[in-house]
Amino acid sequence: MREHAWRVFAGEYSEANHFLKGEEKTPSYVITPLGAKINRLYLVGVLTDVENVAQEGEMWRARISDPTGIYTVYAGQYQPEAANVLSEASVPSYVAIVGKARVYEPEEGVVYTSVRAEKVKEVDVDVRDRWIVETAKHTKKRIDAVQEAMQMHPPSINKLKEIGYPSSLAEGVIEAISFYKDIDTEHYIFLIREALSYLTSGKKEFMEEIGEAEEKILEIVKECEGEKGALWDEIVEKGEKEGLERDLVEEALASLMDKGLIYEPVLGRLKTT
Amino acid sequence: MNDDIAKDVDEILQAINKGVSREEIEENLKKFIDYGVPLKQAKQAIIQKYGGSIPFQEKKLEEIKIDDKKLVVKGKILALDERDVEVRGEHRKIFRGLLGDETAVIPFTAWKDFNLQRGDVVRIKNVYAGEWNNQPRLNLSEWTEVEKLDEDIEVVQRKPRYYEIIELKPGYSNVEVKARVLTLEKREVLIGEDKKTVYSGVMGDSTGKIRYSAWKDFDINEGDVLHITNAYVASWRGSPQLVFDEKASVEKLDDKEMPEELIGKTCVPIFKINEIGGGVDVCIEGDVIEVQKGSGLVLRCPKCNRVIKEGVCVIDGEVEGIPDLRIKAVVDDGTGAVMAIFNKEMTERIMGKKLDEYQHDAEQIEKEIEDKIFTKTMSICGDAFSDEYGTTLLVKEAEILEIDISQEAEKILSEVE
Repeated sequence: MREHAWRVFAGEYSEANHFLKGEEKTPSYVITPLGAKINRLYLVGVLTDVENVAQEGEMWRARISDPTGIYTVYAGQYQPEAANVLSEASVPSYVAIVGKARVYEPEEGVVYTSVRAEKVKEVDVDVRDRWIVETAKHTKKRIDAVQEAMQMHPPSINKLKEIGYPSSLAEGVIEAISFYKDIDTEHYIFLIREALSYLTSGKKEFMEEIGEAEEKILEIVKECEGEKGALWDEIVEKGEKEGLERDLVEEALASLMDKGLIYEPVLGRLKTT
Repeated sequence: MNDDIAKDVDEILQAINKGVSREEIEENLKKFIDYGVPLKQAKQAIIQKYGGSIPFQEKKLEEIKIDDKKLVVKGKILALDERDVEVRGEHRKIFRGLLGDETAVIPFTAWKDFNLQRGDVVRIKNVYAGEWNNQPRLNLSEWTEVEKLDEDIEVVQRKPRYYEIIELKPGYSNVEVKARVLTLEKREVLIGEDKKTVYSGVMGDSTGKIRYSAWKDFDINEGDVLHITNAYVASWRGSPQLVFDEKASVEKLDDKEMPEELIGKTCVPIFKINEIGGGVDVCIEGDVIEVQKGSGLVLRCPKCNRVIKEGVCVIDGEVEGIPDLRIKAVVDDGTGAVMAIFNKEMTERIMGKKLDEYQHDAEQIEKEIEDKIFTKTMSICGDAFSDEYGTTLLVKEAEILEIDISQEAEKILSEVE
């Protein structure tokens, strides 16, 4: 059965300290505090660093950041396609990675998680944004599952499945509870908020900028309007001199018109109301 | 420690029947245990090492646990279905069905043709209980012996339970459903020397659709809304199939009970599809996380339609291939993954380009397809089949989805505030 790809934020993945090592025919799994039972994962983030860390031959190590932390991704001689893409990718750029969960345990109890790439591709911001939303959804689901399980005495895989959780998650959650004991779900709710506000804050900042620009533009219109009204082009020119980009000026003018603070008495001229 | 394992050492000695000293067995067993080998496995390994044989175990079907070896069981074949699979490049015919006795009904897979028929009461010797979706499933191999018995047995009557179509899994017995007959076909089949009539097709409720086989003439027609009790769920090429015979009862309901508009094309998380083993007209939503090699331009054998490699068909030898277009993509929604197969028509629709409009070679075409759909979120519908390697979905409808990021983000934020 093909192992499905988990969607996990870097914050959750790097906090995993539990590894189920597979035997002959069973795969290995990283168990995160939220019960993700990861053999394969899918992540999209910003490539911030790529380096060949092998002494001989090739072992590319890449750092990919998402709003909550950093993933360490490796691609070596046995992953030629992935290694190739990483070595030639521009920094920074958005990349999508499908890969296998890996750990490095230098001493007992100290676990570093990383990803061994299977597939790497440069993508656009839209793919990254979609991934953030999807991953937030899945993280919330895991938080719910952990909370439900912590209410059970004793926590049971079958009961979780009866509620409707997939067996892989049910198994992961029970394993997580037994290893991590007390799981701070509040911390992960904060993680989700952090990741999502990254998406919505972009818009917020823009709206704040408009507020300032609107004031400046309103002043400019008052200055230039005279009897007939200020010329559109003149407003834009003066605005640019004040350090406002053309786009911003036009947005501000549209917004001021929406608010009814200025109007167009004749085509091409603006006046304050 | 010695007392604990004394009984186990006894068991091992009995199975071995040879002149091996007790001390030697004890030492071996302790070593295995020290290495952390589970007791049951350790015993079996030692028995095999000293040339003994694990005894056969006769069990009732409800006693069977996953990983039981060398089972001997007796039961009635309640359902049987033939399937062609490809194992390591070889084509094999396997049989899937349901076996029932007075205690339980269990699914089985037979890797050899034992000339079984529905209705046969058999004694099966040397069978192994594998696992399928966390339930035991009997695996009849080349070393299994099947004896037909000239007796009848009363198959268990489980407490009846009502199920929605989407919940039906192969292995369930005494199920009650309410569904609308969407298609119906009457066929004559040979069961041994008897000619039997079977009525089959697809039926559905608001949660989904399922294939069915009725072994008695219940006078059903397309468009009927039926209330069926005491049916079984077998598997047809890996996906669930509702089977009902003279032991079942079928009541016709008013059309209003299940109007046609309600019949579901269910959009379910992929793990659900994997759990039930596939389905009819299922819909899923997931990301394309792999476009498999062999997607794009392929050449097919003009005789048998198989994809040929380097001008050679595995069945028909050197042939002139006919160009075809397909996509094999792994679609993953975070709960499970399916292999979505797009045929020529579906590929042309998704790519917005017809086969003869492609200018480049196969490698370029594969890359073009990957560039278009890799990492995209898609909604796909079609019939799904499961086997040991996973679930395959034959795409009948597909759409690349546009997600409203800010709307989705706001929705989740409101849930975590």
